[in-house]
Amino acid sequence: MESSEKHVSYLEYKGKHKGILGWILSTDHKRIGLLYLYTILFFFSVGAIIGLLMKTQLIAPGHTIMGPQTYNSLFTLHGIIMIFIIVVPGLPAVFGNFFLPIMIGAKDVAFPRINLLSWWIYVIGILIVLTSQFMGDGPPDTGWTFYAPYSFKTPTNVLPAVFGAFVMGFSSILTGINFVVTIHRMRAPGMTWFKMPLFPWSLYGTAWIQILATPVIGITLLLIVAERMLGIGFFDPALGGDPILYQHLFWIYSHPAVYIMILPAMGAISEIIPVFSRKTIFGYKAIVLSTLAIAFVGYFVWGHHMFTSGMSGRALFAFSFLTFLVAIPSAIKVFNWVSTMHQGSLDMQTPFYWAVSFIFVFMIGGLTGLVLGSLATNIHVHDTHFVVAHFHFIVFGGTGFAFMAAVHYWFPKMFGRMYDKNWANMGWTVFFVGFLTLYLPMFYLGILGMPRRYYDYLPEFHPGNIASSLGAWVMVAGLLIILVNLVRSARHGEKVTEKNPWGGRTLEWMVDTPPTLENFEDIPTVDKRPYDYD
Amino acid sequence: MKNFLFFPLMILLTHAGFPQTTQPGGPGQDNGPEIGIIERLDEYIPREVVIIDVDGNPVDFYSLLDKPTVLALVYYRCPGICSPFTQGIADVISRTDMVIGQDFQVITVSFDPREGPELARTNRNNYHHQIKKEFDPDGWQFFVADSENIGKLTEAVGFRYKQTGFDYLHTTAMIFISDQGKITRYLHGTYFLTIDLKMAVIETAQGKSGPSFSRVLAFCYSYDPAGQQYVLNVTKIGGMLILFFAATILLVLIITRPRKQTSS
Repeated sequence: MESSEKHVSYLEYKGKHKGILGWILSTDHKRIGLLYLYTILFFFSVGAIIGLLMKTQLIAPGHTIMGPQTYNSLFTLHGIIMIFIIVVPGLPAVFGNFFLPIMIGAKDVAFPRINLLSWWIYVIGILIVLTSQFMGDGPPDTGWTFYAPYSFKTPTNVLPAVFGAFVMGFSSILTGINFVVTIHRMRAPGMTWFKMPLFPWSLYGTAWIQILATPVIGITLLLIVAERMLGIGFFDPALGGDPILYQHLFWIYSHPAVYIMILPAMGAISEIIPVFSRKTIFGYKAIVLSTLAIAFVGYFVWGHHMFTSGMSGRALFAFSFLTFLVAIPSAIKVFNWVSTMHQGSLDMQTPFYWAVSFIFVFMIGGLTGLVLGSLATNIHVHDTHFVVAHFHFIVFGGTGFAFMAAVHYWFPKMFGRMYDKNWANMGWTVFFVGFLTLYLPMFYLGILGMPRRYYDYLPEFHPGNIASSLGAWVMVAGLLIILVNLVRSARHGEKVTEKNPWGGRTLEWMVDTPPTLENFEDIPTVDKRPYDYD
Repeated sequence: MKNFLFFPLMILLTHAGFPQTTQPGGPGQDNGPEIGIIERLDEYIPREVVIIDVDGNPVDFYSLLDKPTVLALVYYRCPGICSPFTQGIADVISRTDMVIGQDFQVITVSFDPREGPELARTNRNNYHHQIKKEFDPDGWQFFVADSENIGKLTEAVGFRYKQTGFDYLHTTAMIFISDQGKITRYLHGTYFLTIDLKMAVIETAQGKSGPSFSRVLAFCYSYDPAGQQYVLNVTKIGGMLILFFAATILLVLIITRPRKQTSS
């Protein structure tokens, strides 16, 4: 074929800048996706190590490896890193950036420079958060929620952490706007809304949440800054403010943020399941509509984080009812994924293992969410390890497993190399066993009454904690296998040159491996529905 | 490039030593809050505090400390937070599997020097009645004291309050003191978990101290919805702006025609 510059892969393309500048100043959506991937993987390792230290502290009652103040700081840092740096940008920033334009037949996102700016804002936000650990009066100890009034009372370094989260919010909003405009404007000819693959659909729902919800947390965090620096009484009762208002504002963002995390995860799973089942996805429109329904109803359920905080009985019933309502579209998706696999010819590969285990852990997370969503049981298990187990099953079991599935699915396309499949499967097995051993006992501990956020516990909780802490070590061992395999394979893995190693039907499998700078030589015309295996 | 200057500037601002009016002094500093609690963990109660029991007899406070002790500071005529607080103590005593008077004891002391032993007696009878199980009445005793001794005791445990007219502005906490007179833990608020109580008692018995896990700072304060109107306005205007902004994007995307992608 022609040897014009267009045919050079995006990895080898030489632009205006050389070396690392060619990456951190690149406006190519694929390179930006990888910048996010590397940043996220690095901080995920940091967050995981902190989690491991916390679980090691909890292996026996009393002071084992750290004191209470250290523990408080570590769970705060663990939360801030995992939520604001990893799962909120997560799949949209990495795989959305990389694959959204390719999957809808475009050469880039609508605003490539804003796209690069959003990565820079994200990195600056991270740096600001990190300064809170090393400067001033010691790392913050409020938990990632920065609940008032404690966040005004603690002498620790809360402001930079809050401000860093605020800055990262802008990155999120810009990515959201970029994706919405890209999806509206840049779909290939023939790709009508209902011919668009499900991952872009999930990014579309997510992008609207990012645009609508993120400013709320931005304003709230600014109010904290105003209160701490200028002493205006928004939330602090000592100044005539209302701490419950803070909780409302915080969760008006942070609950939809859970859907920012999980919707793209569901989108990635909806890509993987049909490819490895060799079967058209079951109920395409139902999945699309449930995505939009989750994005919409997800706005109105924030109060279920506050059942014990003091609200009117009527508000409690309304929030509980809406919480049950939002479970329905999630259940529809699970039903559709399982139906897609039914009578398919299953190709048991690493991405598929991750996807199926996603469904398994997501269901445990979802069903325990209903236990928390109903008023009576919520009061019993509120602020216990049950809650911790639940949201780790959703956020880590959901988003985390889907992220791993997505990495293993799109890896050959992104790097033009294949990972060692045996090691990848081994990593998955160890990780999965470790995950369940780590988090399942927490449900039990929570029901027994072990509170969350304590560095210490009564002797009767010891056995459950031993199991959980051992699980943490097993899981991290699995993680190590997975990461080493991926990092090594990105450089030295077996070369992949064929366009479609998994037999996918979406557009990213029609372009070169790895994609060229502009993805498509000619913009394709789409006349088939995605996942057309019939 | 202005954006890039803005961030370092904000970092400087957020780290700068601005006078933080909401926290005039952290733990360990002498000029603590006017109202509230400065945790004096690992410090000792002075030996010379004398309080007065329900029969009007002076009692050496130190001599009472023969087991892990919860000190509760209230005033008996309190129209606000003291009743829920004392009720919270009665509830947790009813629910815990530890034996009051044996594993631990509670000492309630009024910090209003105008109150006499008969008020203490009425309160004792009322709240003893609230405990839903068999218990040793000496496990929860009620006292009053004169202003000098109240001053010594409240300052020793870091309890700060302020008189306004006939009443007081103050907060509540269960303050744990070991049999050696050492302050080991504070449980803030008005509602207590049995697990918190048990851990505090076990650690107090061992003379270990620990910082507060949950600082529910329940103040006797009056919330004025009318005076807080500006907060609601900020949130309302913010919300309207967000929705307007998002609706504009959507309308522009739907109404205007897409430009053709150039294929060069």
